[in-house]
Amino acid sequence: MLVKDYMLQHPIMIEPHKRLAEARALLVENEIYYLPVVGDGKRFLGMITPPRLAIPPERMASLDVWEISNYLANLTVEKVMLKARDLPTIGPNATLEQASHLMTKTKIGGLAVLDGQIVLGLITDNHLLVELNNLLGAFEPGWRVTVRIKGKRGDLLRLIRAVTDRGWTIMALGNVRTPKKPDDWDVVLKVVGCTREELVDAIAQLDGQVLRDIRETASYAYVKP
Amino acid sequence: MRRSEDIANLPVVKVNNLGIAYETSAGDVLAVRDVSFEIFRGEALGIVGESGCGKSTVAFGMVNYLGRNGKIAHGSIAFQGQSLVGRSPEELRRLRGDQIAMVYQDPMTSLNPVLRIGTQMAEVLITHRGMAKDEARERCVTMLRKVNMPDPELVLQKYPHQISGGQQQRVVIAMAMLNNPALLVMDEPTTALDVTVEATVLDLVDDLRREFDTAIMFISHNLGVIARVCDRVAVMYAGEVVEIASVQELFANPRHPYTQGLIRCVPRLGRSKASSVLYPIPGRVPSPDNQPAGCTFEPRCAYAHESCRAKRVPLRQFQPNHNVRCLFAEEIDASQWTPTEPMTPLVQTSRDAEPILDVDSLKTYYRQASSSPLSLFGLAKPRYLKAVDDVSFSLPKGITLGVVGESGCGKSTLIKTIIGLEELSGGKIEFMSVDLGVKVNKRDMATIRELQMVFQNPNATMNPSYPIGRQLERPLRRFKIVPPSEIRAEVVRLLRAVKLDEHYYDRLPNQLSGGEKQRVGIARAFAGRPDLVLCDEPVSALDVSVQAAVLNLLAEIQQQQGTTLLMIAHDLSVVRFFSDMIAVMYLGQIVEIGPAEAIYAPPYHPYTESLLAAVPIPDPTVEQAHVRLSGNVPSPLDPPSGCRFHTRCPRRHLLPDDGTLCTTTVPPWQDVGDGHRIFCHIPLDQLRAFEPAVKMAQE
Repeated sequence: MLVKDYMLQHPIMIEPHKRLAEARALLVENEIYYLPVVGDGKRFLGMITPPRLAIPPERMASLDVWEISNYLANLTVEKVMLKARDLPTIGPNATLEQASHLMTKTKIGGLAVLDGQIVLGLITDNHLLVELNNLLGAFEPGWRVTVRIKGKRGDLLRLIRAVTDRGWTIMALGNVRTPKKPDDWDVVLKVVGCTREELVDAIAQLDGQVLRDIRETASYAYVKP
Repeated sequence: MRRSEDIANLPVVKVNNLGIAYETSAGDVLAVRDVSFEIFRGEALGIVGESGCGKSTVAFGMVNYLGRNGKIAHGSIAFQGQSLVGRSPEELRRLRGDQIAMVYQDPMTSLNPVLRIGTQMAEVLITHRGMAKDEARERCVTMLRKVNMPDPELVLQKYPHQISGGQQQRVVIAMAMLNNPALLVMDEPTTALDVTVEATVLDLVDDLRREFDTAIMFISHNLGVIARVCDRVAVMYAGEVVEIASVQELFANPRHPYTQGLIRCVPRLGRSKASSVLYPIPGRVPSPDNQPAGCTFEPRCAYAHESCRAKRVPLRQFQPNHNVRCLFAEEIDASQWTPTEPMTPLVQTSRDAEPILDVDSLKTYYRQASSSPLSLFGLAKPRYLKAVDDVSFSLPKGITLGVVGESGCGKSTLIKTIIGLEELSGGKIEFMSVDLGVKVNKRDMATIRELQMVFQNPNATMNPSYPIGRQLERPLRRFKIVPPSEIRAEVVRLLRAVKLDEHYYDRLPNQLSGGEKQRVGIARAFAGRPDLVLCDEPVSALDVSVQAAVLNLLAEIQQQQGTTLLMIAHDLSVVRFFSDMIAVMYLGQIVEIGPAEAIYAPPYHPYTESLLAAVPIPDPTVEQAHVRLSGNVPSPLDPPSGCRFHTRCPRRHLLPDDGTLCTTTVPPWQDVGDGHRIFCHIPLDQLRAFEPAVKMAQE
């Protein structure tokens, strides 16, 4: 899963000499949070985010009424944007994990994807959440089961075989070290092709593996052939 | 199932209520009115309609390329959330370079003929991105690879005229994609290309759209091309969008009478004139300055009511994602339609009639100037371009033979040689037992009269300063068809025969539309009541609705007069519809000949198969085999040894040793029966086992 395959290509962008009012209109009308600022030839110069639109109160306090309108009229994107040199960016061949790590580390939820200095796309925390959903098969109809297994060699394989050997299908799979129990693993499977009872029964037969949770998603109703 | 709509997918382009006007001495003329559509990332919107419907004007209007007298009269165009109307020329220029790219019909209009391809491609990156020369060059090579250009490094060294038309169009597409545009406007990008090249370019457009998530606005008059590459289609008529829906919905359930008419007047592949009828749309597109007050299509519409004339009809929702500009969209079902005047399919002509034309081992060679210094003294070995090489067939009386093949395969030279415009280099042509081995100026008047021709471009064959009547009188006088006193009456009869009335007698060619001119061309060819008429692409310059009328007319006159027709066309659906027999030509030779219905089903020659797999079919439910020809047509100066098709044949590996036989030995003529012959080494049983190239959904 590389950034280039999951980023938003051709994001809406703005040029540095545009008035801030235009940037605000783009953010509000299109309901977006990150607006890359690009110069000649899609060169990355900075980013506008909603907080940048707020004018600091101390700045306003020092101006009289006439100066405020003049100040606002001359406010360009260039003057308020976050500068490129202060922003984290990512390359198209980075992994999604690297992107998410960069986002959590810098607390900036939108990264410009750059090829050299040229903007290729934009990847945001929202994209990562969508892919988390897709990764766990949130939109696939089926049984979503969470099984806690020991981190021993072959445990995961036994679980998978218990499903596939019976001719059922695994639509999605995710496994993660159990929070606060680092020796155990929680495995989330999306299984289709069986009834709830059959699945519960199959997992119960596995020694040392515990069914933590089972629920149907995307209105899955299995009809026996 | 994958979902990403949680992230707001905004349209790349949103056109709302757009009107484009041209300033003329009589005031502003609205060429485009009330056009609204949006195109999303990775989506291709097709815009289809006859010429003069405003398709290209919309495209040019989006980037403000309207010329000095054009202007946006009303409405808005939002590109990536920002308005494009009222931008300064400098801003638009930058946008066009960075985010919007265009590909036009003729690649040579976008390429500079005096610069090497490498220089002009790299220029895009150097100017717009300030990239270093070496890096830019490397990028160009990568992009040329992405558009499947063979040997990209070499192509960069070449000048545009040194590569073929299909390759030129690939270079233009690669150039357009270099800056990774958000919007790609393609205006008839494949119209000038051969069907096999067209198919590969359309595949390419589809791939690039997926890879780069580019929004594509695809303009075409060809419903088949639209059905192949687009997700949604907007049908334009007289400057308005009359229907907009997804491709599947539009072809399965067209709701505007114009859309229905368009679909009815194109021949479907697999249909013939004996099994079906083409229904032309009567009348013609109104000019922008003279539009009806009510529905613009009302004068040509079979369903028109009084209420259609009262006021303009708005575009309204018929179903979700299906909008139509017709008051009676709910009532007019395409499947319930009956023609206003009954038309019956024509009777199939018997192929067993006496042969009228016998062509035996015909060769037409052009001598080429040699570049060797010896040629100055006349000592160099002469080189010949073998345009037609060893072609034999015989044509029974009263039937139609269609000749198909890529450009440069020698089909035009073949008919030029038969009619006597080119001198034959070898072989024999016998026409009703008269030897046609001499050029036209040495033939006697009777032979000339019996052999006539209809040309592709009716403009080029008419004297612009002579009235129509006078042009039609000329063959009558020269061939002494009727006594001088009856000439005028005969001209009027001819005009009526091609569905034009007496008023046309005194009109000049520039007062006629393209379809009317072609009718006059047909009338002139049939004036001397010839026995054999040669048609060189008679309908390819015409709009589809006019094309249907002209084809019907040709068929009707042919049936009345019992004329034999030899027709060249590049559109395989047209050829299949119109012909009784078909010959497929490749590199100066016929590779397959036989009854029309036999050519369109296995067994067929591998070349025929790839032609069939490439034809754009105006029906998104049809499945076509993915057979694509690689490489270019080899030069007829130095044709490949053995089977001439072996350099590109996708089926060669079926023979032992990867088809070594094909490279060394000339293939045999294999007889399938019923006059169907195939020029190929692959045994008939194997050819029969091919999957059909085209699978119709309902049949």
